[in-house]
Amino acid sequence: MQAEEAVKTRSIADLAIATLHRLGIPATPANYAIWYEYHAGMSPNLQRTIDVLISNKATFDEATLQDLYSTFFSSAKEAQAVRETSARALETLQDIVGVVDFARDDAHQFGAALRGFASKDVGESLGNLKHLIEDLVSESRRMAGRSEFVGLRMKESAGKIEALERNLEDAIRDSSLDGLTGVANRRTFDTVIRKTAGDAMNSGDDLALLMIDIDHFKRVNDTWGHQTGDVVLRHLAKTLQQAVRGGDHVARYGGEEFAVILPRTDGHAAVNVAENIRKALARNPIMLDVTPPMTPITVSIGAACYEPGDPLAEWVGRTDAALYKAKGEGRNRVELN
Amino acid sequence: MSNSIDAGKSEAPAIEPKPMSCLITDDSSLVRKIAGRVFREIGFEVDEAENGQVALEKCQIHMPDVVLLDWNMPVMDGLEFLKALRRTEGGRDPAVIFCTTETDVDHVQRALASGANEYLMKPFDKETLLGKLDMVVTRR
Repeated sequence: MQAEEAVKTRSIADLAIATLHRLGIPATPANYAIWYEYHAGMSPNLQRTIDVLISNKATFDEATLQDLYSTFFSSAKEAQAVRETSARALETLQDIVGVVDFARDDAHQFGAALRGFASKDVGESLGNLKHLIEDLVSESRRMAGRSEFVGLRMKESAGKIEALERNLEDAIRDSSLDGLTGVANRRTFDTVIRKTAGDAMNSGDDLALLMIDIDHFKRVNDTWGHQTGDVVLRHLAKTLQQAVRGGDHVARYGGEEFAVILPRTDGHAAVNVAENIRKALARNPIMLDVTPPMTPITVSIGAACYEPGDPLAEWVGRTDAALYKAKGEGRNRVELN
Repeated sequence: MSNSIDAGKSEAPAIEPKPMSCLITDDSSLVRKIAGRVFREIGFEVDEAENGQVALEKCQIHMPDVVLLDWNMPVMDGLEFLKALRRTEGGRDPAVIFCTTETDVDHVQRALASGANEYLMKPFDKETLLGKLDMVVTRR
């Protein structure tokens, strides 16, 4: 009976870990407790609340996870059963990832390894996840072996290790901005586009989107190297922030593609903002002492308006189609779809 | 169940199914228009209310099968309406789908605890709305 219980606990633990990774949620004890409880099914309210969030494709950001934890785990109303299962869940988690602990001897490398680990797409498969954990463990062993201070550092106070772990969590979670350019990242874009489209659906106000792509960016990287490419990306991000109006949202959509969400803006006004961006870039070229000398950087821009009731993906797709049309018709131009 | 008096007839009598009804409660006329179109397309009878007070009065006259319910509305908000509805005679019958821009755990949790059957976050499209409707219709 006890063995049966242990097997059950372990399989719930596996499910919880797989879900954390699938949803890109940091594997902190609190988050683990939430998802263990979700799969254990001891709290119907927790389960229904999470089902609503999942079915609405909500992002499990830090605030949402904290709310879930404080709502379902810090409240005196919650059944003792919840606390018991989460305690059992934590034991199993320690059992699974405990072997990774000694990688803490080197903060930076551990951090880098864990970040890499967190960003890997493990998909649905537990097999993949186990492979990744094995990779992480062997990487940790390798790092531990290299450090002559391992023994000393292993004796460092538990408090320090916890602080390190917290910093790491903050670094992983604090990911609303794009690290290279400082504008909003894709994840933030996804949140903002939903928020602004929801508001537009309620109010009936116009809402437009720009997709901006650097012309011949591959040539920049190939000719002057990726560091120069990074300078170009930063320069464009800065130009975008200066060229848009207050209330517009600039984001790095991916690679050399940027997006600007324009609330209370119709197609005509969106094209004006896009033309302003193109002109600002022409007025304010990047001055770099490189050989061969750099030709002026230009962008192609697609614009489209949100139609309330249409899927957001359809809108983004129409904007992208306009961008491709701008590319197809000679680049350094704006197209409205 | 058959109301046919001719038991010898092999064919079952055609029973006209009563169309299901939906009350769209939202202060946004655009939301009422978009949701109304989706419900009508699948054969629902659609009525509209611009706040909870109006919706409650309509429910007292005719209890709908489904209520699509906004949260923030003047006069009476969605949560107040839901609590009042569930206390009304026959008010436990309608499936209530919250439909709101509120996306945080606290709102979801309060909606479910107050008797909402489903929760749809704005912006919605036809597919997501029908998905939620499917959930409440098949769950009954």
